[in-house]
Amino acid sequence: MGLKITRGSYAKPGTSLAFDTGSWRIQRPEHRHTAAPCHAACPAGEDAQAWLALVEEQRFREAWETIVAVNPLPAITGRVCHHPCETACNRGDYDTPIAIHHVERFLGDMALQEGWDYPLAPVLDTAPEIAVVGAGPAGCSAAWHLRRRGFRVQLLEATPEAGGLLRSAIPPYRLPALVAEQEIGRLMQTGIRLMTGQRLGRDFSLDELRDGFAGVFLGIGTQQGREWSIDSATPSDLYVGLALLKRWMDVGAIPTWSSVAIVGAGNTAIDLARVLKHAGVPEVHIISHKAIPGPDVPAADAMPAIGREIEQGLEEGVIIHEHRGVQRLILRGEQVLGVELVHMKKLSDASGRLKRVAFEGTESILHVDQVIPAIGQVVDPEGVHTLLDNRAYFQVDEWGQFPERPWLFTGGDARGDRGTVSEAIGDGRRAAMAIEHFVHSASDSPQDNPGEPIGVDQLNLNYYEPGPRPAVAVLEVSGRDGYAEVEGGLERRQAVAEGERCFSCGDCLTCDNCWTLCPDMAVLKTREPTTDGSYYVFDYGYCKGCGLCANECPCGYIVMRDEV
Amino acid sequence: MTQEIEIPLAELRRNQPRFGGLESGHRACLGCGEALAARLVSESAGPDVMYANATGCLEVFTTAWPDSAWQVPWMHSLFSNAASIGAGMEAALKAQGKATKVIAMGGDGGTFDIGFQALSGMLERGHNVLYVCYDNEAYMNTGVQRSSSTPHAAATTTSPAGSESMGKRHLKKDIVSIVAAHHIPYAATASVAYPSDIRKKVRRAMGIEGPSFLHIHAPCPLGWGHDGALTIEVARLAVQTGLFPLIELERGGVAGAMPIREVRPVSDYLGLQARFRHLFADSARAREELEHLQALANHNIEVYRLRGESRQDCMDSEGADTVRRGGMRWA
Repeated sequence: MGLKITRGSYAKPGTSLAFDTGSWRIQRPEHRHTAAPCHAACPAGEDAQAWLALVEEQRFREAWETIVAVNPLPAITGRVCHHPCETACNRGDYDTPIAIHHVERFLGDMALQEGWDYPLAPVLDTAPEIAVVGAGPAGCSAAWHLRRRGFRVQLLEATPEAGGLLRSAIPPYRLPALVAEQEIGRLMQTGIRLMTGQRLGRDFSLDELRDGFAGVFLGIGTQQGREWSIDSATPSDLYVGLALLKRWMDVGAIPTWSSVAIVGAGNTAIDLARVLKHAGVPEVHIISHKAIPGPDVPAADAMPAIGREIEQGLEEGVIIHEHRGVQRLILRGEQVLGVELVHMKKLSDASGRLKRVAFEGTESILHVDQVIPAIGQVVDPEGVHTLLDNRAYFQVDEWGQFPERPWLFTGGDARGDRGTVSEAIGDGRRAAMAIEHFVHSASDSPQDNPGEPIGVDQLNLNYYEPGPRPAVAVLEVSGRDGYAEVEGGLERRQAVAEGERCFSCGDCLTCDNCWTLCPDMAVLKTREPTTDGSYYVFDYGYCKGCGLCANECPCGYIVMRDEV
Repeated sequence: MTQEIEIPLAELRRNQPRFGGLESGHRACLGCGEALAARLVSESAGPDVMYANATGCLEVFTTAWPDSAWQVPWMHSLFSNAASIGAGMEAALKAQGKATKVIAMGGDGGTFDIGFQALSGMLERGHNVLYVCYDNEAYMNTGVQRSSSTPHAAATTTSPAGSESMGKRHLKKDIVSIVAAHHIPYAATASVAYPSDIRKKVRRAMGIEGPSFLHIHAPCPLGWGHDGALTIEVARLAVQTGLFPLIELERGGVAGAMPIREVRPVSDYLGLQARFRHLFADSARAREELEHLQALANHNIEVYRLRGESRQDCMDSEGADTVRRGGMRWA
């Protein structure tokens, strides 16, 4: 170099920048967004992590818009969903999971209160038109997502109003009628053309729909009670669980027996039990072949009803007989006097198949004056028997598309492998994506997989603080009349605190850790978000690839990738 | 993953929302704790500072001829006399009527051993100098020889572990107590795992008229035998086990200590480092030395009352660097 080193030499400041320490690197850090467990677990497909981040910044409207891009009914699902997102939440391994459903409800309620409009572009008169049959959760979701995708939508509903079981079967103490009415009503103002009193098989046929529309979605649910008898005996005055619940919703009255046994373990059983209890029936029994959910009960053995509802039912005095089945009806003539119960459990037989085993010697008599089966519903075959082919539910692929009828889709309860409002909403969205793909004959298949969620072991928990999950007001048992809502909502500051408590799993928190801790100043901070959405870039000219940033990233957003 | 931005990196680097006293392109090893500590100190001290730097890793890797990674006035001294050079710089600035702060820096070798009497003299004469010791617990620059800062039972090239020895036989010198015994206004320990705490202590020292001393624990992946990615992890565990207490002393008396929210066993810290690997052998001697180190940690916890009284404290060993959305905890 020809430089002569003398005593008292000097160097110019910052000249080390000419030296490329990046050439030492054998691994490079990269930003990688990984799905949060709440996202992967959401049956509707919501990315709760994304909207909780906006709640933390008090950008409530954007948070709500992020939700409705996936789920148009957050005020409803925030109340009725069984929130598997919270079971999956990584924070559960640290202290308590984020109260995601409470925050969702908070945003949904705020949107109704503030009168926020759904973000939508106008529909062209020339856009293809899709028929959606049934305005329950699946149909509403499909109609909304088709509308968002620029289709004209004709929504056909058999009853006088949209909403399906949200308005006909979910009791108001869980979902106040006004909330359901407002949120569904607003959805119907988005340019979806609703026609009520239109029943498939009576007022129109599948063939007519096929000929008149570019695609068809069947969100017809399960309108027929599953047949029930014990040794071919049925009482003469048999009520079916869901039908009775709907009647109560409709007319506001329910027979007040002195003691009732409800057979079933799902949400209809527990809802009906609580409604009867609220109406003043002194003794309400639930005969469940599964166990009351608890920390030691495996999911496969737990009652499928929502845990919170079971808990509140027990508080109200509903008696649940776990692992029990009805062996015999005790009848006088065709009048019920009681039931003979027996301990039962699902066990695998020699071939590994699960079957229900009744244990001899465990029989007991329960005196009741009414037995009500709530053992599930099946698709009403009217107008669709060619599709059903004597089965109870439709057989379709994950997108809801029928084999050999590519123009026809379904979702929600009618599939048989679903059972919740949120799953129905997810089905509606997936079907809308598939319908768009079908109508436009697109070559790329639609994608709807958030991917393997990030585990708690990929986070660095040293950077988080413990914090309590917010408590909401719960109506005292004495005040539960079947109408007044049992659970209260969050206050604004509580919702924001939940946003702060969120770990931001798999997504940049903009916490400055990488920028603060890089020994080589190879992480630079930007003023505007970069294309990956974060506010940092790696300066690979100097990054030596030590991996310190990846190890200290609280959210698991930085990963090291081999370069040689 | 794409990370495209509109502005060129060099321009972005010039416009970072923090003071850049130490630049990229220095030759420190991967995950160097000392490089990080020096950056954090210069960032907190700001631009109106002159540095005297003893011979050692920091001097070598930041000023490979003819480059310098420093963006601030910086002078290289001998191994032994950073404190003396700093004292002279301070006297000269004072004579010129300037208020620029002088920071003298050295490693543990240049502070605990070779520069010890120069440091003592600077403190005793009351110079307005902040002395920062980056402690990586051995002579790393020359090949991992033990220093008087090397902890008990650590293996170095001059205190090897083998059939005759369990690493260093002697104890780590309690330098901060010796320094505090000069009755100076402020002496403190800090760790690279707690950048907010470093900032707080540097700023505190910068505001003091008179000598101050900051002792920063800075892991050396090469000399300690751990992956460069674990530098912060290792430093954090040194604090959380009680082996490296974070304390502040004023005029010789303890004025503050970072409480440990959840005390971890020393094996969590030692197990990550090859220099302590021999302590996990299945032998009576290994078990005894492991217990010895645990007792030293327990002693620190007792003497400095490190066990937090409340379960949660925003400045305890778990709350001190809690992250927030939007960052700028380091602004």
